Amino acid sequence: MKLTSAAILLAALFSQTVLAQSTGRIFVTNERSHTVSVINGTTHQLEATIEIGERPRGIGISPDGSEVYVAISAENKIAVFDPTSLKVLRKFDAGDDPEAFAVHPNGNIYISNEDSAKATVINPLNGQVIAEIPVGIEPEGVAISPDGKRVIITSESTNMLHVVAIPEHKIVSNILVGARPRAATFTHDGKFSYATAEIGGEVIKVDMATGKIVQRISLGDDKAKPKDILLSKDGKSLYVAGGRLNQVMVLNSESLALIKGIPVGKRVWGLAMSKDGERIYSSNGVSSDVSIINTANNSVIATTKVGKFPWGIVIDD
Amino acid sequence: MLEKYKFNIVALLISVTFSASGTTNQSNEIKLSFIGDKDSHAFMGVRQGIDEANIQGVFLGQRYSLTTLPNSSSAIFTTMDAKHVTYLSNAYPNKVIFNLTAEDNNLRSECFANVLHMLPSKAMKKDAETQWLKKNSDSSAKAQTWHHSFRKYAAGQLNSRFTNSTNQKMTDTAWAGWASVKLLSDSIARNQFNDTTSLLQFIKTELAFDGQKGMSLNFRDTGQLRQPLLLIDNGKIAGEAPVRGVVNTTNLDSLGLTHCPK
Repeated sequence: MKLTSAAILLAALFSQTVLAQSTGRIFVTNERSHTVSVINGTTHQLEATIEIGERPRGIGISPDGSEVYVAISAENKIAVFDPTSLKVLRKFDAGDDPEAFAVHPNGNIYISNEDSAKATVINPLNGQVIAEIPVGIEPEGVAISPDGKRVIITSESTNMLHVVAIPEHKIVSNILVGARPRAATFTHDGKFSYATAEIGGEVIKVDMATGKIVQRISLGDDKAKPKDILLSKDGKSLYVAGGRLNQVMVLNSESLALIKGIPVGKRVWGLAMSKDGERIYSSNGVSSDVSIINTANNSVIATTKVGKFPWGIVIDD
Repeated sequence: MLEKYKFNIVALLISVTFSASGTTNQSNEIKLSFIGDKDSHAFMGVRQGIDEANIQGVFLGQRYSLTTLPNSSSAIFTTMDAKHVTYLSNAYPNKVIFNLTAEDNNLRSECFANVLHMLPSKAMKKDAETQWLKKNSDSSAKAQTWHHSFRKYAAGQLNSRFTNSTNQKMTDTAWAGWASVKLLSDSIARNQFNDTTSLLQFIKTELAFDGQKGMSLNFRDTGQLRQPLLLIDNGKIAGEAPVRGVVNTTNLDSLGLTHCPK
C-alpha cells in the first residue's frame, strides 16, 4: 500500500515537472516585420515564420519550455505561442509599450514598460498583474538573479540599475551607471552583475552586496554602442553586442579587458546562449540576419537571414 | 541695467544646492531659475526636464523646482537674445547660464566662462548643410537640432513624453530646454559640487550626456554643445550630420568652430 501511494506520488510529481520535449529551435523577433523567425537549431536554416503581432521585441520561454512569450510593443500585449506547433495560443495585456522581459524560475514574467517608467510582474498563465514597480524613465533591460531573489531593471534615460527584491517587489538599491544602460546580467553566484551603457560606450561590473560599481571599461570606439550582455558558461568571458561596431565583443569577466571582437552582421543588439554554452546567437538589426557563434573559438559558423530588424532571441533547448 | 528689462523678464531664480550628491536618503532641494519667455517652447522643455529630473530624484533624495527668488540662484536658463546673454554672463559670473535660443556665432567665439550654448551655432548649421549638399546637390534641406518626427535613438520616446505633457510638438528650443536640465541633473546626481566652478568644470570637461540623439554629447571650450544635427527637407528628416560618406559620422568637430580663438 505504502509503496503504491509513494509511486503514485512520484508519478504525479514527475508529470508536473516533466519538461516539454525541446525542439532545439531558435526563435527571433523581427521588430519591423511583425513576425517571429524560426531557425532550425541543427541545420541553422529558416524553418518557419510566425505572424505574431505589431512590433515584437522581447522574447522568452517558460521554465518548462512549453510556451514562448513575445512582447508585442505596439499592441501593449504579450503573445504566447507553442514552440512545437508554432501556433499562437493567446495574448494578454502587458502594460504600456512592453519591451524587454525576463522569465523568473517560478514562471512569472518581469517586464519593462518603456513609456510609463515602471516594471510589471505578470503571471503568464492567467495574465494577472502581480505587481507594478515604479522605476526610472525608459526602463529596458531586465535580469533575474540565479537564486531568483533579485531583479535588475535598467532605466535608459535615468541612467540607473534598479535592484528589486523578489517576492517583496520593493526597490533595494538604485545604481547610477553610464549613459543609457540597456541590459544587465548576473555572475553565476549572483554576487556581481554586469551592465552595458549604450551611449556611454561602457561595460560596468557591480557588487550586488554594496550596490557599488567595482569595475568599468570604456569600449573605446565611438561606434561601440553596447546592448545585450551575456556571461559564458564557465564564467570567464562576457559577450557584448557591440551595436554599430558590427561585432560581438568578448571581454574578460574579471578585468573587463577586450579579448576579441567577433565580426557579425550590422547593428548587433540581441544575444542568446545555448544551455550547453557552446553557441551564441546574435540578432543583427540592419542586416536582418542572425549570426551563430561557436564559443570554443569565438568565430561565426553560420549566418541566417531572418525578418526586418531582428531584436530578441530565445533558444528552446 | 537689468531694471530696464524687468517687465519682459520672468526671473524664476534658482539656487542649486551644491551639497547634492549621488547618495540616497538625502533630501536635497535644487532650485532652478528661468529668465525669458515663459510661454516659449524652451520653457516647456525646461519644465519637462525638471519633471524627469524629479523621477530620478525620487531615487536619490533630490528635488528640483523653479523659484522666483533671485538671491540664491546658481544656474540660469534663458531665452534672451545674444545681447542679453552677454549681459547675464557679466551680471552673474558665479552662475552657470544655459543659453537656450541664441544661435549667434560670436557668442561662441567670445568664449564666456559661464555660458553653455545648447542649440548649434549658425556656423554648425551651415557646415551641416554644406556637407549635405556635397551628396545631394539639389537639396534644399536645412539643419536643425531636433524634429518632432525623430524616432531613432529613443528620440521617439522623448517626443512622445513631451507631446503627452504639453500637447505640443517638440521643437529645437524645447529640446534645448529639456536637455539643459537633463545634463545638469545628470551631473548633480553623480557628483558633489561645492561651487559653480567645479560644476562648470565637470560639465565642460567630463560630461558624457545622452541627449537622445544617438551619441554621447559634451561641450567645447567655447561653451557650445557638441552634437549631431538633422537635415530637414520639406518638413521631413532627410538625413543626419556629420553626413555619412562626406565625413566620418562620429566626427562632430566637422561642424562649426571647434575651439576658442587663441
